[in-house]
Amino acid sequence: MKSLILKDLYNIGHNAKSMLLILLVFAVGLIMSSGVESYIISAGVLCSMMIVTTFTFDDNCKWSKYALIMPVCKKDIVKAKFIVLVIFCTVGVCVGTIFGVSGGLVMRKLVMSMESIVTMLFMAFVGLIVSVIFGSMSIPLVYKFGAEKGRMLLLVSFVVPLAICFIVYEILMLFGVEITDQLVFAILCASPLIALIWVYIMYRISCSIFSKQEVIG
Amino acid sequence: MDEILQIKDLTKSYRDFKLDRVSFSIPKGSIMGLIGENGAGKSTTINAILGLIKKDKGTVRFWGKELDSSKQIKENIGVVFDGINFYETLTPEKVGKICAAAYKQWDSSTYQKFLERFSLSKGKEIKTLSKGMKMKLSIAAALSHRPKLLILDEATSGLDPVMRADILEIFAEFVREGGHSILMSSHITTDLEKVADYITFIHRGKVLFCKRKSELCRDYGMIRCESDLFEKFDRADILAYRREGNQWNILVGDKEMAKNKYKNVVVDTITIEDMLLMYVKGDKPNEEPYIKGFV
Repeated sequence: MKSLILKDLYNIGHNAKSMLLILLVFAVGLIMSSGVESYIISAGVLCSMMIVTTFTFDDNCKWSKYALIMPVCKKDIVKAKFIVLVIFCTVGVCVGTIFGVSGGLVMRKLVMSMESIVTMLFMAFVGLIVSVIFGSMSIPLVYKFGAEKGRMLLLVSFVVPLAICFIVYEILMLFGVEITDQLVFAILCASPLIALIWVYIMYRISCSIFSKQEVIG
Repeated sequence: MDEILQIKDLTKSYRDFKLDRVSFSIPKGSIMGLIGENGAGKSTTINAILGLIKKDKGTVRFWGKELDSSKQIKENIGVVFDGINFYETLTPEKVGKICAAAYKQWDSSTYQKFLERFSLSKGKEIKTLSKGMKMKLSIAAALSHRPKLLILDEATSGLDPVMRADILEIFAEFVREGGHSILMSSHITTDLEKVADYITFIHRGKVLFCKRKSELCRDYGMIRCESDLFEKFDRADILAYRREGNQWNILVGDKEMAKNKYKNVVVDTITIEDMLLMYVKGDKPNEEPYIKGFV
């Protein structure tokens, strides 16, 4: 499986400069308009989208066919994609935090204090969770519809988790549950577990789709 | 176990094509050529052998075992498809690192030697390489994890004769090392004539024959005659025939018998390409063709 991860990192490495440039452009636009916090989350989400690009690269050189002649199975291939996604998201929020904090200080949107450092680290954590949840939805979509259609359906991977959140919120409202700071804190504490369960479900769906596919191209 | 690969009754149906009970085996230390026209089922056979497509029926055994029973089996199989399967921005050095992480048996020094032998620069991106050089890189990657069986799907297609000769030499060297075998699909029959020990001919999804190349050259022959002589031919002696103007070309499966039975005819030695053309383009005496050596 290490080889599969290495291959994606080498492939995307070529696009690293472009991604850094995009993050810089976004930094200028987003920090000014929406603040450092939004930028950090956006950086994670932007980098999570690169997972779809790795599928495009694979399609271009018929990689999946070759991967399956290596001593790996289809489950390993899917697992590697999720690991690569987590790597992309981690890099995204790390770079986002560095650019965001630097940009925030330069644009005077941020004051250096212990409190703001803790807030930014917390936002990086939230950004990681959000981008992993969004990104992991795109993987089964790409397996089902292919890299090109999957790219167009990226919106779905954003809409579905948001819709689920909205439905949960409505249900809570229906039962008269008040959204207190305590509840928000509890949800945030549980968010890594929620993300893990979400990723596991997406992994199982991806495995199920990929196992039924014939890899001839 | 003398047979490295045994395929029995391999069947795969599509809406418009059926791979029908394909059976053959590859003995240790030999090169098996898989021939057939485009769309005959060569690549489908290879894809089914490698488990890339799900077979409907039949068995595929490598060293007596099913492919998915152990990852070790895959360590012993090298595969080269008709193009390189690494993304164009990778370099031979990175390809080596990816393969080294995949195969326990990976031998970096062997890979290095192949790169030097093929004049492949370690840091050059794949997109800058010619088709022949890309193929050489694929071969270097396939041979550097010390496989015992090499499977080649149209690996020499689209290459110039010099490049093909180089690559065929490497395959011959590979088989000379004890116990190694090759399954080589190609529609360039001259390549197979040079290196193959056995020929399996697939036509419209069915194996027409699987024979030693030496037997094919010894037994099969082509008779060229005019209409009056053609009419006198016993249809049971004819594998396929084709009319070209006033001349009839007749493919026979027993050259010696034909020489003895039909005194006035000249029976020429036949190439694999002639044979392929006769089977594909020619007519058969019966609807269900009588074919000597039918598997």
